[in-house]
Amino acid sequence: MNIFVRELKANLKSLIIWSVIMALLILIAVSKYSAFAGDPEMLKILDSMPPAMMEAMSMNAFNLTTLSGFYGLMFIYFGLMGAIAAAMWGSEVISKEERDKTVEFSLVLPVSRSRVVTAKALAALVNCILFVLITWSISMVAVKSYNPDQAFYDFLALEMQAMLAVELVFLAVGLLLGCAMKRYKLAGSTAVAIILATYMLSIMSGMYEKLDFLKYFTPFKYYDASALFRSGKMDAGYLALSAGIIVVCVVAGYVVYNKRDLYI
Amino acid sequence: MSATIFKHEFRTKLRSVLIWSASVAFLIIFFFSLFSVFAEQAALVNQMMANFPPQMRAAFGLDKMDLATVLGYYSFIFLFVQLCLAIQAANYGVGLVSVEESELTADFLMSKPVSRTQVFVSKLLAALAALTLTNLVVWASSFIAIELFRGDFEYQPGTLLLLLLGIVLFQLCFLCVGLLISLLVRRVRSVTPYGLGLGFGAYVLNGFSGVFGDVKLEYLTPFKHFDAAAMVSERAFDAPLVLLNVAVALLALALSYWRYIRRDIPAVS
Repeated sequence: MNIFVRELKANLKSLIIWSVIMALLILIAVSKYSAFAGDPEMLKILDSMPPAMMEAMSMNAFNLTTLSGFYGLMFIYFGLMGAIAAAMWGSEVISKEERDKTVEFSLVLPVSRSRVVTAKALAALVNCILFVLITWSISMVAVKSYNPDQAFYDFLALEMQAMLAVELVFLAVGLLLGCAMKRYKLAGSTAVAIILATYMLSIMSGMYEKLDFLKYFTPFKYYDASALFRSGKMDAGYLALSAGIIVVCVVAGYVVYNKRDLYI
Repeated sequence: MSATIFKHEFRTKLRSVLIWSASVAFLIIFFFSLFSVFAEQAALVNQMMANFPPQMRAAFGLDKMDLATVLGYYSFIFLFVQLCLAIQAANYGVGLVSVEESELTADFLMSKPVSRTQVFVSKLLAALAALTLTNLVVWASSFIAIELFRGDFEYQPGTLLLLLLGIVLFQLCFLCVGLLISLLVRRVRSVTPYGLGLGFGAYVLNGFSGVFGDVKLEYLTPFKHFDAAAMVSERAFDAPLVLLNVAVALLALALSYWRYIRRDIPAVS
């Protein structure tokens, strides 16, 4: 419990910074949306563009003149921000002890290594959930002046759940990296590599139908905003896949961390 | 300038440079191998686009993007290359001098008979050399990819050279801004969040401008200063924006130098 509270406090600053960035992003975007709101001419153009073109600009399947369509377009940015934040929190929360040379201290406390990891992981999890809630509430406030209908709020709720799911996947991957990497510096740079690679994969998989199979390797594609928009729910198969990744990463993290030589 | 420091810095970065270069080269060649698929589809698009009024095309930035040409498609890939280069440069910048403090090696370095100016300059040059190495790989793989996959399509090598020449300024800007940020905060615990934040932040800001028309804030991001799509259609640098970019880089560099010379570097206790 002490470790949990301590980690929450230590991560508070980072959470605030991320939230401010997110708030700025939403404000800029919503101010831009005002140019699109309810303009039928724009819609006509969007309808006539071929799919590959739209995919390349990640504008497919959305009616940008409605708030829901616009938020659908925003989703990739929410996912990206959430993923970066979560992966950083996940890997840092474990590896920083070795970096700051405090690991000797935290491991001579009368708690098992597993409990240390649990407390830290829970603190990072709370951070992720708070980040989604903050994004959600900023969005609600930002779009107020457009008087959105219930359908938009439902879609927003769905998007936020999907964002949380993406965050959780990256959090679990980050935790595993933090637990497993012998050299703490590698944890951070591997996390960067994974984020960049999965982001690129998500773009590649949409560009060309023969590369479609790549979508199973990138969490950004598991919860594609246009699919969310059409079906109104998250795909069960992908939810299961994400849950699988999360469980495997977390379990592996515990196993490795319990056995590992720590860098002192 | 101290050769020892330069060599040491360059050597520690070499691994990271190799990994970045390999990934960027892979990215360019892989994306470009899809060119033929796109070129077919894009030719249809262009016919259709011609029917729309020019203001509408401008609103979406479509007047500048033409995926049916070699360079039009290349400018589309180039954005992702820039993203990688930006993160790499920002990482190097943030870590350049702060790494000594976070790794507790500052005492050792500062007790050597070299001035801080020498330390600063040698480190900076080493980072620039490392970035230039990646830059060269981008040059080489771009030309190779285009020659391999362009098929019967023609392109203007001059414009391509222009895009590639912009990279060094683009890297310099992220390097210097990253360096300045690392010297403005009290203590950099870990380089990656700063580097990622700077790189992706600038990228997202640029992405917004591409899709949603006009807001002035985009002029802050180097991705806009070296907007490949615009450069391909204009066949020239956007001079005021490039100057702005260089000015930002130099200002950040000067401020960083000033901060570093006066910095209170904590000793290991």
